Amino acid sequence: MAKETRVILICSGKGGVGKTTLTANLGIALARQGKKTAVLDADFGLRNLDLLLGLENRIVYTAQEVLEESCRLDQALVKHKQEANLSLLPAGNPRMLDWLKPEDMKKIVEMVSELFDFVLIDCPAGVEDGFKNAVAASKEAIVVTNPEVSAVRDADRVIGLLNSNGIKPIQLVLNRVRPKMMASQEMLSVDDVTDILALPLLGLVLEDEQVIVSTNRGEPLTLSGSNSPAARCYSNIVLRLQGEEVPLIDPSKEGSSIGDKFRRLMQTKIF
Amino acid sequence: MKYPEKNHSNGFHNRKEIKFPYNTNSDWRNYLKIQLNEINEKSLEIDCHKWFLSCSDIQELKIILESRGHKLNFIRSQLPETVVSAFNVSLRAELTIEESQQDQKDPLQSVEIKKDNSHYPLFHQGTLRSGDRLESEGDLFVFGDVNPGAMVSAKGSIMIWGRLLGIAHAGKAGNSKAKISALQLIPLQLRIAEKIARGPEEKPLSGMAEQAEIKEGRIVINPLQTSEVITSI
Repeated sequence: MAKETRVILICSGKGGVGKTTLTANLGIALARQGKKTAVLDADFGLRNLDLLLGLENRIVYTAQEVLEESCRLDQALVKHKQEANLSLLPAGNPRMLDWLKPEDMKKIVEMVSELFDFVLIDCPAGVEDGFKNAVAASKEAIVVTNPEVSAVRDADRVIGLLNSNGIKPIQLVLNRVRPKMMASQEMLSVDDVTDILALPLLGLVLEDEQVIVSTNRGEPLTLSGSNSPAARCYSNIVLRLQGEEVPLIDPSKEGSSIGDKFRRLMQTKIF
Repeated sequence: MKYPEKNHSNGFHNRKEIKFPYNTNSDWRNYLKIQLNEINEKSLEIDCHKWFLSCSDIQELKIILESRGHKLNFIRSQLPETVVSAFNVSLRAELTIEESQQDQKDPLQSVEIKKDNSHYPLFHQGTLRSGDRLESEGDLFVFGDVNPGAMVSAKGSIMIWGRLLGIAHAGKAGNSKAKISALQLIPLQLRIAEKIARGPEEKPLSGMAEQAEIKEGRIVINPLQTSEVITSI
C-alpha cells in the first residue's frame, strides 16, 4: 500500500452529542474534496448513520456477512447516491448484538482500508463492548463533546481509555456551541473545556437549526454546499484534518450583540 | 607492594556518588568543589539528603559539575521539594528515607512511612482523567492534573503539582496528620483519614497553592506554606 489510510474513530462517551452527525458531515465533506472515504457504523445496536446519509433503504449486507464470507466487501459497501467517493458500511444488524469481537472489527477495517483514503468509524456511546471493538480497529480519534459538564466528564473518561489503548493523535471537536450563552457565561467556555480535556482543538461547531432539518431529510449539511454556520464549521474541520491551518471561529464574535460585548467587558477581570 | 598507586586510589577516585555536607547551613558549593578534586568518574550521583535545593540551585549544581567535566546523572534527597525541583529541570531523582532519622521526634511525620521503609512515595506523571484511580501505600506525588471523576488516595500525604479537581483521600489508613496540597485546590471532595469534606463552592484565586489538613476535627484549607510541605512528609 503506497499511501497510509487514515482510520479515525469518532467517539464521545456520552450519547447525543453529535458523533453520528459529525461522521456523516465529515464523510461527505471529505468525499467532496475527492478523497475516497468510507464511513463505518460501529453503533450497530442502534444504528442511524444510514438514516443521516439517506441510505437506509439501500442496505442489503453488513460487515457481518462479509466476515462470514456470504458476500463480497464491495457488495456490502453502500455507495452514496450523490457523492460517489463516499461509501457506508454498516457493521451489523441490530438484531445480532453479540457477534462482533475486536478481532472481527480489526479485520473488517483492514479490508476497507485497502480501498479508501479515509475510514471514519462512528463509535457507539458508552465505554463498553461496542466502544472497545471500535477502538481496537482505530489509529487516531476525534472526541466530540458539548459545552456541558456531563459531556465533558464522559469525554475525559474516554480520552483516558483512548490514551491507554495507544490511539494517537486524539483531537477534540466542541459541538453545539452557542456563542450568546458563552458570551454571557451561562455555558462552559471553550477554555473551560480545553482546560480539563487538554487536547488540541480540531474545531468548534456552532449550534445550528439547519442540522436538525438536514438530519431529518437524510442529507448532511455539507452535501448541499450550504453556507449555514454549522456547515462552515464542518468544512473547516475537514481542512484542519488534512493539516491545513484554518483559524478557529471565535464564539465571542459570532452573532453576539453589542449588549453582550458590553456585558462581557464588564465581567473581564482586570488582574 | 607491587601496585602501590592502584591500592591508593581504590574506592576513592572511582566513587560515583557525592554526599552533600551534613551541616545544612554550610556552603555546599565550596564543599562540592573540594570533593570534585578527588573524583575521576564522569557520571555522578548526588545525595543531598536534608538540603532544600530550588530549581536554580540544581541548575547551578549541574553547571559546577559540567565545568569540571562531570555529568549530573541522579539526585537523591529526603525532601520531596528537592525531588520536584530536580524533575523540573528534567533530571532523574529519588526520594529517600534515612534510617537513622526514623525515630526522631518530629510529631508531624506520618506514621506509616516512618515505620515501614517499603512504603516509598509514589510518583505519577501525567493527567489523571475521569474514572482513573491511583493509590499509594506511602505518600503520593502527582505531576499533572487530577480531573473531576478521578480519585487519588494515599496512606500518607498527597501533593499535586497541578490542579486537583477530583477526589483525594490522604491518610486512608487513618493517619489524620496527612495533608493534601495542590497548585490549585478545587476538589469535588477531600478526605483525610475518616473525615470527609465537600470541595469549596467558589473558585480560589489562581496562582495560589493551597493545602488541606485536619485542624480541630475539621478539614480546613489554607494557603500553602512551603515549610509545612516539608514537615508533613
